[in-house]
Amino acid sequence: MVQFNLPDNSKLTDGDYYKSEKSNGNTKKFKIYRWSPDDGKNPRMDTYEVDLDDCGPMVLDAVMKIKSEIDTSLTFRRSCREGICGSCAMNIDGTNTLACTKAISDVKGDIKIYPLPHMPVIKDLVTNLKTLYKQLKSIKPWLMNKKQNANDTENIQSRNDREKLDGLYECILCACCSTSCPSYWWNSDKYLGPAVLLQSYRWLQDSRDEERKERLKELDDTFKVYRCHTIMNCTQACPKGLNPAKAIAGIKQMIAQQ
Amino acid sequence: MSAKNTWKLHRWSTILLLPLVAYLFIKIIHLSTLPYQLILSELSNLWGVGFILIFTVLGLIHMNTGVHEILDDYVHSDVVKRILNVIISIFFLLILIFVCLSLLLIFIG
Repeated sequence: MVQFNLPDNSKLTDGDYYKSEKSNGNTKKFKIYRWSPDDGKNPRMDTYEVDLDDCGPMVLDAVMKIKSEIDTSLTFRRSCREGICGSCAMNIDGTNTLACTKAISDVKGDIKIYPLPHMPVIKDLVTNLKTLYKQLKSIKPWLMNKKQNANDTENIQSRNDREKLDGLYECILCACCSTSCPSYWWNSDKYLGPAVLLQSYRWLQDSRDEERKERLKELDDTFKVYRCHTIMNCTQACPKGLNPAKAIAGIKQMIAQQ
Repeated sequence: MSAKNTWKLHRWSTILLLPLVAYLFIKIIHLSTLPYQLILSELSNLWGVGFILIFTVLGLIHMNTGVHEILDDYVHSDVVKRILNVIISIFFLLILIFVCLSLLLIFIG
């Protein structure tokens, strides 16, 4: 059954307060979720005052500043810092988004930062995405085309067919959508979730792929697709402005037409 | 039944129930203005009985698929799910029997 209460060792406590040394008035408080598997303590919310005059405009800039200047033990993922890699996905101000594309000025008041919801936390803001990658692998996210392999020739695609992939191929697999979906929270072991289903639809829509029937047959399962109840949190959360809910509806339509 | 067919059944029952629910509301308002004997005669004609039966069957199909969706969402234990499925099926069957008996009573006066 669904667990409604957090286990005792998951309850959040107040953490440390790091006051800004230079207090010129233009500071912002960052409240960040902290948890380490090593100390056996409950997770806590540490508060950091950041001088905005000496900080980049994005939340990631502030988090990096905190790590390099205030608290080096803060752990988070980041790489490209321009919304391409999807590493810095976290829950900022109540919404799953990329820290590198979220402007500090977009958040009124203190900025609360948590790891992606309903995912096992490895440390601080780093979550375990193993299940998501396993699910991604299960949909075979690659082109399956026997003809091309046999002839080793160019696989031509019309402009119209290529356009069908727009709004699908841009997904960076940051997991903001899947971790904002209540259906994925309840059944993340069986429901594929919006991120993986968007990827699946991307391959279903590819005119060069020859395994559409097989792919659809694999998806026709009570849990894999049909746990989507069109809640639309995924579309709301996607930092790339994509529409996974529409892709899932497309998959359902394709299965129904089969 | 496959997941695809269950999903289709749920959607089709929704679409079919929409006009039936609208008609039911209109009918209830109309019946509330009539005396008791006229209500009985309205319900006991073939159209009245047919409507109630179709509405009940469609409604039960819709409820059944809907409840199974909820169970699939929130109940993770297969044993608990199976027990709940049996209880729900019995409950819906009792509703159907109750509706059929009521119609029979109205029909035969």
